[in-house]
Amino acid sequence: MAKLYVDSDKYGDQPASAVVEAYHNAIKNLVRQRLDEVGGDWASFVFDKSYDLIGAKDFAQIEKKLLATGHRFDWSAMISVRERPEAYKPAAGAGEESKEFSFEHAEAVVAPPDSDGREQRGIGDNVVKYAKNLVGTARYIRSSDRVLQLLTTGVPAETVAIIDDSGGTLTAPILEQFAGVICAGGTVRSHLGILTREYGIPCVMNAKISGIREGDLVEIESTAAAKTAEAYQKGIEITARVWRRKK
Amino acid sequence: MNANRISYAQLLETNNLVQMSADETYWLCVTRTVQESKLFPVPAYMMLSYMMAYFRYPSLLRKIESRMSAEEIGDRARQSGIKTQNPSMGWALPGFYLLGREWLINLGMIRPQDAVEDLIYVMDFWKRFQLSWHRNDGHLTNKEFGHRGQFLAERQVQVFHADMFDCAVGDELHQAAQAFMASASQYGFLISCESRISLHNSGPYKLADDRELIVRDFMDLSESDFPWLDDVAKEIPFNNLTVTMGVKDCHFYLVDDWGSFESKPEFTADKLVGVGLYTSDTLTDGYVPVAMGSKQELTACFKSLSEKIKDASNKLWRRVAGWTRDQMIDAGAITYFSIVKDLAHVAGVYEVSDWMTVDERAERFRPLFNDEYSRDALVGLCIGTHPSHILTEYTMMQHSDKPQRLYSLIPYSILQGEDFTPTCGPIYPGRTHLDPKIDRYTTSQGVLTLTDYNQRSREFRPHGVDPKYRHLCETWVKYHAGTPVADELYKLTQKRSRLLEGKGSSLKRADVEKLRGAGG
Repeated sequence: MAKLYVDSDKYGDQPASAVVEAYHNAIKNLVRQRLDEVGGDWASFVFDKSYDLIGAKDFAQIEKKLLATGHRFDWSAMISVRERPEAYKPAAGAGEESKEFSFEHAEAVVAPPDSDGREQRGIGDNVVKYAKNLVGTARYIRSSDRVLQLLTTGVPAETVAIIDDSGGTLTAPILEQFAGVICAGGTVRSHLGILTREYGIPCVMNAKISGIREGDLVEIESTAAAKTAEAYQKGIEITARVWRRKK
Repeated sequence: MNANRISYAQLLETNNLVQMSADETYWLCVTRTVQESKLFPVPAYMMLSYMMAYFRYPSLLRKIESRMSAEEIGDRARQSGIKTQNPSMGWALPGFYLLGREWLINLGMIRPQDAVEDLIYVMDFWKRFQLSWHRNDGHLTNKEFGHRGQFLAERQVQVFHADMFDCAVGDELHQAAQAFMASASQYGFLISCESRISLHNSGPYKLADDRELIVRDFMDLSESDFPWLDDVAKEIPFNNLTVTMGVKDCHFYLVDDWGSFESKPEFTADKLVGVGLYTSDTLTDGYVPVAMGSKQELTACFKSLSEKIKDASNKLWRRVAGWTRDQMIDAGAITYFSIVKDLAHVAGVYEVSDWMTVDERAERFRPLFNDEYSRDALVGLCIGTHPSHILTEYTMMQHSDKPQRLYSLIPYSILQGEDFTPTCGPIYPGRTHLDPKIDRYTTSQGVLTLTDYNQRSREFRPHGVDPKYRHLCETWVKYHAGTPVADELYKLTQKRSRLLEGKGSSLKRADVEKLRGAGG
């Protein structure tokens, strides 16, 4: 079989993720095979014949073979798992409005209720320091369906949105109506962090929380120091607390 | 292929530019923000966009240069807040192309010495543009300047400085400006499919010992190139808006080639003490003030724009929420790939088929771009863990100290006989899953058809590139201030200024500040 230029690599022998390994090995095999079929002349193959000889069907076949082994892909965008549930791992988060659902982070810092009846249920990276802590009602917002529903009905007053998407687009049409945000991902520099700062909405990012359910009264320690770029780069822990309060 | 057409010096310089891009790409990807979304399949569209860039940028840049040189576009770029700045040019032009190249190397589909003439040309175009655009600060990139971008001429900074309105926390202008920037930022993320490439910060410029100026551009806001903005953005009257921000007690120590910044102490709303608003495009002679007649007029304008942007945002979100995955991938990939499309607008050679479609050579790869493979392959490309990245164990790369180079250099062995290929070929046909683009382009000269827009762009020449003034640079001004020609040059930039109209070239910063006190 034809030998590729990258087949002789003195240094590049470290393994990648299983999927990348599987794909790249399969694609290189495909290239070797097609190159053989045209007599091994690289110059006429690379930007000419290969355009016709290596196509979408070949790449689809590579994916099909991987899925046939039982592998199911991790998903990052809801649309991916929605369109091809058979190819992706099941989407956790169905029933987000259920009274029972809650984010459960293994590193959530929790503590018993204090003298004010506040029970610490986690920590997060504060985006901006404000003069007062923020108190509001927890509402999970994790899908475009939920956003569409709230866009139609309006976001209830004093909503503290609990989100696991650190992007700025999923909640775009309703973000301004949130009283506060607890985001289970990202950093203060993520797009959601940037937007809450611009809108003046108290927010903690990278939140590690546990036991906060839809409708709970929560308090964000918005008076805590904001986490800085320097703190991220030097690995310095600067956190704000998240409490659940008695209603 | 005959290597005589390529010189050792060309390879040395190209490899230096490639290495410079590699170092900065690693730093940006590791230390700056992470782009995530549950709405858009971001890694998938990024991977597709790199393919599109690899196969099309060389031909498209050559097409642009057939009408206008990279250097002239760089000169024009200093005078408008369009996508001929960072992150488009400072990082993405070489970055997207090189990321595509590196991925193909790792698939065994190309070698480091394939399409060498394309690579040399892309990097050379980038270098000439960047040096021209940055000629006032004398650097190639913000990175080379220690992460700072001061490309504006004094005469432009003076107008921004003079005409900015004071504001303070709690006053109406401050609130309106903040609300506008929040809604425009959010809209920017949405129109750019979660990326931040509709936003750009540059500077800082020193206004006083305790104040700095940051120039923030919001780009591609109205009905123009992106088909997904047709109808929904019809009411937004300006395609590009530039907000000048006077900031007190806050030093911007980093403005990177992605157009984002860091400051000490952290920039918060209470530090914003001055704002101005401008628009520009390929048909404006510099920055045109928007509602800058009075504080009240500007406040009302910010409010009005915020409402229009929110309305467009809601309409666009509903449109996007109904898209298929392929449509989302197309929109994201096209947004990324076309990040340098305004080069074509400046030159008057923009075509929808060039910039708003996925080249069929790139399209082939779509079945690979599930979320998991895209994520893992992308991370590997950005931090340098694919086989092509790995170097001898003795190597310590800038920033990481690891033996991992993000972009492969061209092997010099091609100069002594090892075979190579020159180009990936011309532009191939493209396709898209998105609705066809409506032939409506919002410009400073009204809503135009593309044919009209291109024609006007080809005929338009801003004063900054008029042969009479083009090379009257900041060094020349230093020794010729107050001469009739210098005054003439300054007056052209001052012609729409509320406080500086007709003032000429002799003013220094303190004089401008004094005029602000008298006229503000």
